[in-house]
Amino acid sequence: MTATSASPGWRRYFTWNTDHKVIGVQYIVTAFVFFMLAGILAMLVRTELRAPGKDIIDGATYNQVMTNHGSLMIFLWILPVLAGFGNYLIPLMIGARDMAFPRLNALSYWLIPPAGLLMLASFFAGGAEAGWTAYVPLSIGGPPGQTLWALSVILLGFSNIMGAINFLTTTITMRAPGLSMWRLPLFVWGMLATAILSLTATPVLTAGLVLVAFDRMIGTQFFAVASGGDPILWQNLFWFYSHPAVYIMILPAMGIVSEVLPVFSRKPIFGYRMIALSSMAIAVLGMTVWAHHMFTSGMDPRLRIPFMVSSMIIAVPTGVKIFSWLATIWDGKLRFTTPMLFALGFISMFLIGGLTGIFLAAIPVDLHVHDTYFVVAHLHFVLFGGSVSAVYAGLYYWFPKITGRMYDERTGRLHFAANFIGSNLTYLPMFAAGLMGMPRRVADYDPEFTVYNELATFGSLLLAVSVLPFLYNVILSWARGPKASANPWSGKTLEWQASSPPPPENFEQIPTVTSDPYAYGEEAPKAAEPAAAPATG
Amino acid sequence: MRERTLFLSAIIAIVLIGLGFLVAGQANLMPREASTRAVEVDQLFRVLLGVSTVIFFLVEGALIYAVLRFRKKAGDESDAPAIHGNTSLEILWTLIPAAIVVVIGVYSFQVLGSIETPGRGPRVVEVIARQFSWGFRYPEEDLATTELHLPVGQPVVFQITSEDVIHSFWVPAFRGKRDATPGQVSEMAITPTETGVFPIRCAELCGAGHSIMTSQVVVESPEAFDAWLAQQQALASDPGQFFLTLGCGGCHTLAGAGTTASVGPPLDGLAARAGDRVPGLDAAGYVEQSIVDSDGFIVPGFQPGLMPKNFGERLTPEQTQALVAFLMAQP
Repeated sequence: MTATSASPGWRRYFTWNTDHKVIGVQYIVTAFVFFMLAGILAMLVRTELRAPGKDIIDGATYNQVMTNHGSLMIFLWILPVLAGFGNYLIPLMIGARDMAFPRLNALSYWLIPPAGLLMLASFFAGGAEAGWTAYVPLSIGGPPGQTLWALSVILLGFSNIMGAINFLTTTITMRAPGLSMWRLPLFVWGMLATAILSLTATPVLTAGLVLVAFDRMIGTQFFAVASGGDPILWQNLFWFYSHPAVYIMILPAMGIVSEVLPVFSRKPIFGYRMIALSSMAIAVLGMTVWAHHMFTSGMDPRLRIPFMVSSMIIAVPTGVKIFSWLATIWDGKLRFTTPMLFALGFISMFLIGGLTGIFLAAIPVDLHVHDTYFVVAHLHFVLFGGSVSAVYAGLYYWFPKITGRMYDERTGRLHFAANFIGSNLTYLPMFAAGLMGMPRRVADYDPEFTVYNELATFGSLLLAVSVLPFLYNVILSWARGPKASANPWSGKTLEWQASSPPPPENFEQIPTVTSDPYAYGEEAPKAAEPAAAPATG
Repeated sequence: MRERTLFLSAIIAIVLIGLGFLVAGQANLMPREASTRAVEVDQLFRVLLGVSTVIFFLVEGALIYAVLRFRKKAGDESDAPAIHGNTSLEILWTLIPAAIVVVIGVYSFQVLGSIETPGRGPRVVEVIARQFSWGFRYPEEDLATTELHLPVGQPVVFQITSEDVIHSFWVPAFRGKRDATPGQVSEMAITPTETGVFPIRCAELCGAGHSIMTSQVVVESPEAFDAWLAQQQALASDPGQFFLTLGCGGCHTLAGAGTTASVGPPLDGLAARAGDRVPGLDAAGYVEQSIVDSDGFIVPGFQPGLMPKNFGERLTPEQTQALVAFLMAQP
């Protein structure tokens, strides 16, 4: 322990380092910087939309701001921050010394900063204006910034694929003795499902973007209508990745929630196997729903039915998770720490995102609400109320492990309150605006929608301010918070057996696993006794 | 004990279902229903809203109850009971949502079939989208217009396409939306049931002017519609009509064509100032340049990049000259 914390200091975070914990922190901090930038862009959007008419930016600039807001939030915040958790936690949780391919791991991180700079550079090259969906032919005809955007997302695609290979190999081959698949923490199950999705879907988007870049740069005609190119082809390629991407952004988040709830309820997770299987079911079903983004497009009408059915079926494994979480806290001894509050906030807001997803899957209703603010509200409840809440829960929960210090609980609760109220105030009015007839991605709107937009802008202001207590808390606590013990929450997963922060290579001796990771309320079985497998009934 | 639990569950179920019916019946979340399709879509929407309301209050209620009821007692550091699961409960909350989803799926499928079957003897109206205006064609009359008028109660099939990027034709009051995709024609069937003027919006991001790509549909009595058609046909022999058909009136004010938009510069009395705009271009030359290359000169106070760049390709040289002559002749 003594040799560890003294070693390379903070400078190692700015170097090529193959320690999975350093890489994990690099991912998380870099992603958070992009989160702040994307948040500033969101504030520009909300300021422009506070009142009807042109306020601060014109239509073309609005499209650039909106495009980069979405692209940064998805490709450079949620995806990499969750990959950061995966990097930091998987080896610790499975009792390994590092990832299977440490240098590939460093490479997949180091692709991210240049990709992010490339994306931001689009602002100085005429801008990327086609939305994060980059529909052709709009994205083919746009200014040169669109090419930089495409190259950026291609780089991020490579990073994502390499990360997935690493997660998959590490989890399959490097588990500690006794750690069977049915004893795997649910966060690791979530990352496993995510890695499979990434490996299957990301190459398709990356290849599609290469085609777009070729059309733009060397005059190929893959998507040129006049030469027989098909704009719908791009939508198929794009959504074949980008709907699974939603699950890539939510499955690890659900995993975080499944870790936090049992610890602070002092109860085993309810229905362990069903939750793990639900993650896999969502991953498999998630591959079959992409065309529900295209119900209004020129796709063959008959093909819409199977996509509607598969999209609705996903509600079932998702429901299983929500009910299992409720049953986990039921009859528990709840401790309302900041991570617990964010995990409970996740359930309450993700539920709204999930229920409104059924409306969107029902084709007749979708033909009205598709491409309106109803969709904007839905996706923000899933990705902000859902994924980002879980990310915050994870950041607070593992803060003592990562930094070796405790955060301040009161500031954390303040952050939660502002974030929770701000989210609902921002996104709930958007449902009403969309149903009443406000299209998405508009720089201006009819005066009848003013009240919804004023509420949303006010809520977004609260969201922006809510980041301040978080930053204050994290920076101050990291510098001089009280020292954390190895296991401040009395957790049962393996990362709490290592010191805080863990030394390089994590464990002095690889632990032998003898029980499931959520054995609360039971006398800890001593090493010799064969532990019961987690019950399913 | 068991009886009390059952009794409580029954009460909660009744309250929740009552709440579902109440919300579904009372909520007024959409614009006025102006087509047969709107009635069917809204019915489905209300069913979804009712079911969602029940699930929403069930889950959030359980969450809030748990938060209030199961808070750790001060000084109690022991663990809670080691309950790992309950097979019958887990089967129940897998099967019930599955059953609900099947019912919703079948119902949605029925509604979809019904709303997409055009009424008897539908009139075809072509919808042409372009950056950033809508054009319409009545093929039976061989008539192109910039306004969309429909006779109330008569089924219509829109044949929707685009001249440049993807747009989406959406009439919120009809509850229908269909993408306008270049190189293909998509159909949408509607039977308007209410007279009135309803907004048309572009729902697919199509460029800098996406939010100003608006229009409206006028639903009127068959007599008024026929009168409008006759008037439009008379106009078609007029060069001003050509101006309208191109969509110029969506952005420019021109008294001679009866347009009042202010996105682009006004065009009345253009001949008097056109010669002074660009050194080396006479009045007619400037007007022509402004049509085929709109960003060649931007009138102060207006925004570049909004006007379509493809008029040079869309118009024959004769048509361009006719348009220039028409604009130069406006007082």
